[in-house]
Amino acid sequence: MDTIVAIATSAGRSAIGVVRFSGPDCRGILQRLLQNPSFDPEPRKLFLKEILRGSGETLDSALVSYFEAPHSFTGEDMLEISCHGSPLILRNLLDLAQSFGARLAGPGEFTLRACRHGKMNLAQAEAVRDLINAQTAAASSQALRQLKGELSHTLQPTRELLIEIIVRLESALEFVEDDLPEVEAATLERKMRKAETEIKKLAATFATGRALRDGINVAIVGTPNAGKSSVFNRLVGRDRAIVTEDAGTTRDTISESITLCGIPISLTDTAGIRAASGRIEQLGVERSYRAAADADLLVVMLDGSKELTPDDEAVLAEAATSKHVVAVNKADLDQRYDKSELPSAAPVVHISAVTGAGLDELTAAILQPFGSVDSDAAGLLITDSRHFDLLRRTEMSLKGSRDLLLEGAGEEIVLVGLHNALRFLGEITGETTSDDILGEIFSTFCIGK
Amino acid sequence: MTMVFDEAFDVVVIGGGHAGCEAASASARIGARTALVTLNLDLIGQMSCNPAIGGIAKGHLVREIDALGGIMGRVADRTGIQFRLLNRSRGPAVQSPRAQADRALYRAEMRKVLEETPNLDLRQGMVVDLLIAKGRIEGVEMHDGRRIAAKAVVIAAGTFLNGLIHTGKRTYTAGRAGEPASIELAESLKRLGFPVGRLKTGTPPRIDGRTIDWSAFQPQSADERPVPFSFSTDKIIQPQIQCFVGYTTPDLHERIRTNLSESPLYSGQIKGVGPRYCPSIEDKVVKFAEKDRHQLFLEPEGHDTNEVYLNGFSTSLPAALQQDLVRMIPGLAETRIIRPGYAIEYDFVDPRVLGPDLQCRRLPGLFHAGQVNGTTGYEEAACQGLLAGINAGLLITGRPMFRLRREESYIGVLVDDLIRHGVDEPYRIFTSRAEYRLALRYDNADQRLSHYGKELQLVGESDWERFNQRRDRIAAVKKALRETRLRRSDATYAAVAAELGCALGDSITLEELAQRPSVSSSLVKRLLAPVLGSTVELTDVESAFADSLYSGYIRMQEAAIQRLHHNDSTPIPQHLDFRKLDGLSHEMIERLERCRPTTVGDARRISGITPAALSTLYVAASTDG
Repeated sequence: MDTIVAIATSAGRSAIGVVRFSGPDCRGILQRLLQNPSFDPEPRKLFLKEILRGSGETLDSALVSYFEAPHSFTGEDMLEISCHGSPLILRNLLDLAQSFGARLAGPGEFTLRACRHGKMNLAQAEAVRDLINAQTAAASSQALRQLKGELSHTLQPTRELLIEIIVRLESALEFVEDDLPEVEAATLERKMRKAETEIKKLAATFATGRALRDGINVAIVGTPNAGKSSVFNRLVGRDRAIVTEDAGTTRDTISESITLCGIPISLTDTAGIRAASGRIEQLGVERSYRAAADADLLVVMLDGSKELTPDDEAVLAEAATSKHVVAVNKADLDQRYDKSELPSAAPVVHISAVTGAGLDELTAAILQPFGSVDSDAAGLLITDSRHFDLLRRTEMSLKGSRDLLLEGAGEEIVLVGLHNALRFLGEITGETTSDDILGEIFSTFCIGK
Repeated sequence: MTMVFDEAFDVVVIGGGHAGCEAASASARIGARTALVTLNLDLIGQMSCNPAIGGIAKGHLVREIDALGGIMGRVADRTGIQFRLLNRSRGPAVQSPRAQADRALYRAEMRKVLEETPNLDLRQGMVVDLLIAKGRIEGVEMHDGRRIAAKAVVIAAGTFLNGLIHTGKRTYTAGRAGEPASIELAESLKRLGFPVGRLKTGTPPRIDGRTIDWSAFQPQSADERPVPFSFSTDKIIQPQIQCFVGYTTPDLHERIRTNLSESPLYSGQIKGVGPRYCPSIEDKVVKFAEKDRHQLFLEPEGHDTNEVYLNGFSTSLPAALQQDLVRMIPGLAETRIIRPGYAIEYDFVDPRVLGPDLQCRRLPGLFHAGQVNGTTGYEEAACQGLLAGINAGLLITGRPMFRLRREESYIGVLVDDLIRHGVDEPYRIFTSRAEYRLALRYDNADQRLSHYGKELQLVGESDWERFNQRRDRIAAVKKALRETRLRRSDATYAAVAAELGCALGDSITLEELAQRPSVSSSLVKRLLAPVLGSTVELTDVESAFADSLYSGYIRMQEAAIQRLHHNDSTPIPQHLDFRKLDGLSHEMIERLERCRPTTVGDARRISGITPAALSTLYVAASTDG
C-alpha cells in the first residue's frame, strides 16, 4: 500500500487549506517536509511547524497533526497539514509531497481505505456514500466535469487514430492467410508520430492550466539597485520590502501572495545578482538563483537610466531558458538605451516604480503567457495532474513503440506499447476492449476463408 | 420414485465431436467410468467444416490441449497431410502451427484412440432428455427408451441442438448435412430454464477434384520442416500434399448481387447471428463491394478421395445457383459440386450459466462444452471438452475442480471470456484476446501447462520424462545465453555486427543480443554452438530465445495492466441497485444492468463503460457492505 495525498478542503482561496496523507510513509514524508529527520510527532497532537521548500526556504507555517494506525480515519498512518488557504501554497505542498514518494489520491480513495480497514460499518455506509459524493462534488466543480467530457471529446480523434494503427498491426498478425493489404511501416510511423504529437501538445497545456487554476510563482530578478524591491512593493500594494538607494539592500528573498486579475500569484523579491562582495550578500545571491529556478515566470528588472552591464547580460542569459518578461525600470529618468539593444526575445515593458507608470502593462505581460492558449487544443487546458500523468504515459508508450517500429521489431512487440497507450488513454476516455478492436478489424477488412 | 436404468456410468458425454472426444478421453483417464453417446459411431471426430486443425491462436489451443494431456494434437499429427507454421517470419509469440488433415483418417484415428482408452465405452443413440432428481443430474434418456445413469453429464452436442439447415429457400432440420438434428434435447434444456439463443454458421461446397483445372491456381506447399502439434510427436508420417490458391471475379460478384433475394441470409429467413470473421461469399461481396476479388483455397479432403473443400466460398444460396457460381471461378469452369454448401442455425446455451470449470452453477454435475456454449472451431470445442471432461472426472473422484487462468493459457482466456461476457456471435479465439500474448506462446505451452497434466495424471510417465529433459535443456540454453559473451576479439564478432548492421560494444551477452529486434534464433543458435554443441534442439533455443526477447516487454505490460487492474477483484454486491447510484448516466446504468458484472474488473471490461462510471461503481461497491 502506497501513501496517498490530497487537498482535503475545497478548491480555490480559503482561510485554511488542509492537505491530508494516508499510508505507511506519512512519518517519513513529514520529516522530509520539515527537513528534520529526527522529528517524532506525538500522535493526535497539533504542532506549529515550518514546511520548507527544497531550497530550504519556508513554504508556509502550518499546523501539523499525525495519527498512528489504526487510530485514524482510514485506519492507516495519517498526516494532516493545515496551511494557509492559498491554492499556490497547497499546490507547492502537493508537489513536494509527491517528490517524496506520495501519490495523488483518486476520488474517494481515503474513504475507500477507511472501508478496507474496517473503520466504517454497515450502518454508516449510506452516510459515507453521501460524504464521498459531497467530496467529489467539491473536488470537481461543474466546470471541471464539463472539462472532463471535453477532454475525452478532444482525445477521441487521437484514440481513433491509435485504434486504426492497432487494427493494422493486429490484423497483419491474426489474419496471415487472408488477402490483406501490406502494412507500410512508413505510413504507420507517420500515424504514430501524429498521435504522439497530439498527445504531447495537449500535455503541454498542463503548465499553463495548472498555473491558471492554482496560481503562478513569479520572481523578480536583476542586478542590484535596478528597483526590484520598489516594484515588488508597488505590486504588493504596501512597503513590504526595505528600499534604500544602496545597492544590495535586499539580502534575502521575500515572498508575498497577491492576486493579479483574479489569478493567485506568489511574488518573490530577490537579492540583486552580481559578483558579490560579502559573504551575506553571496548567500542572498544563491537564494536568488534558487528562487529563480522555482519560479514559473521571471521578471528581469533592468535600470533604464544606466547602460547595460555585464551583470545585466548575465541575468538575461540566465533567464533566457525560462518564461520571462523584461521590465525596464526608472522610465521617469533619462533612458540610456532602447529595447532593440536587448539580447532578449521576451516582451519588454517600460515602467516606473516611482510614478507607477507601466505597471498595468507589466501585469498584463506577466499573465500573458498563461492566458495564451494553443489554438489546436481548442482552448482546452489540462488542469488535473492525473490527466497530465496519463497523457505523459501515453506519449511515452507511443514513443517507445515508434522507436521499436523503426528498429524493425516485430508487430507483437510494437503493439505492447500501443495497447498500453490505449489503456492509459482509456482511463480518460473509457476502455477499448479487445472485442472493440476485433470489431474494427472485421469492418475494415474482409476477413475469413 | 426411483428411476430404473439400463446401464450405469460415472460420466456420460453427449456428442462425439471434438469437444466430446476430449471430454470422454479425459474423464475416463482421470478415473471415471465414462460413456460417450453419439448419433453415429462412424462419424466420431468428424470435421464438419474445413479439414484443417490449428491456425493463429487455434494452434496455440491445440498445443495447450496437448500439454495438458489431451488427444487432439496427437491425432492431428498422425493424420495431417499439410503442415505449415503460420507467421513463420514474425515473432515467436504469434507463430502458430496449422495442418490440413485427411478427414477420413482423422475420424478413424480418433475412434481408435477412444477405443483404446480404458474406462471408456462408446454408445450409439440419441439423447432426448436429461434425468434430474433433487437438483442433481442422475443420467440421460435415449430416443429408444434406454436410460443411462450418470453422476455427471457433459453436453457437447455441437450444431445439432435444434439444427436447421438452409440452402436457398429450402430448410430442413439437421445437425449436419445428412444427419438428424437433436430436437428433444434442445427442448429439454429450455424446459430446465437455460437461457437459449440462436447462432448461425455456414460451410462451402465440396467439389470434384477430377473436374478442376489445377494449373489455374497457385500451389501452396507444406513446410519442409513440419512443426507438429504434440510435444510427443517426433515425426510427421503422412505424405504431404499441396493446397491451391485462387480468386473470385467481378462477374461472379455481380451474379451473386443480382441473386441476393435467393439467399436466406438476405431474405430475413435466417435469424441466428453468424461469425463476422467467417463471412459467407454473399456477405463478402455485399459488405466489401469495393474488392474486385476474394481469395479462395482448394483444400483436398484426403489422400483417398477426390473431394476438395472450396475454402472461402461458404454459401447458403440455392444448390443450382452454387453450381453456376462455382463454374465462374477461373479454373473451375468444368467443376461439379459433390456436396452443396449450406448455412445452419442452431441453439446454444448462454455460457454465463457456467463456472470456470464449465459446470452449470445451477445444476451441479452438468457440464457444457463446445458449440453449445456459442463457440466455433474444432480447437475451441476440443479445449472446452478437455476442461469439462477433466472436471467431470474430478467431480466423480471427489477432487477439487480444475481451472485455468487468463495469464497462463489461451484456454483460460477463452473460458473466462465465455463465462463473463457470453457471446453475441460465434466465439473464435484470437491472439489479441489474450492480454498476455507475449507470454502465451505455442512453443512454451508445455512449460506453462504440462505440470497440470501430470498432476491430473493425463500426461504419462514417458511424456513427463520427455518434458523434464526439454525443460532442462531450455534452462541450459538460458544459462549459456546469460554467460556467453560475444567479444570484439572473437572471430565471429565482425560478421555478426555486419549482419545486424549495428554497434555491439566491446562485448555483449547472447541474452542481450537476443533482445535486439532484428536478431534471429538461428543466429543465436549458431553463436551458442561451440558452448552447447549438439545437445540441444533448435526448438529449445527458440523457446529460450523467445523468453529473452519478450521478458522486458512482458514486465512493461504487466506494470500497465496491474496499474489499471488493481481494483479489479473488488466484488459488486448482487443487490446493488445501479439506478440508485448518484452520477451514473442512463446509458451506463443500462449497460451495467444488461451485463450484471460481479466484480469491478468485469464492469471495466464492458464495452462503453466510462472511467467516471467505474469510479462511481468502485466507490459504491467498496462502501456497500
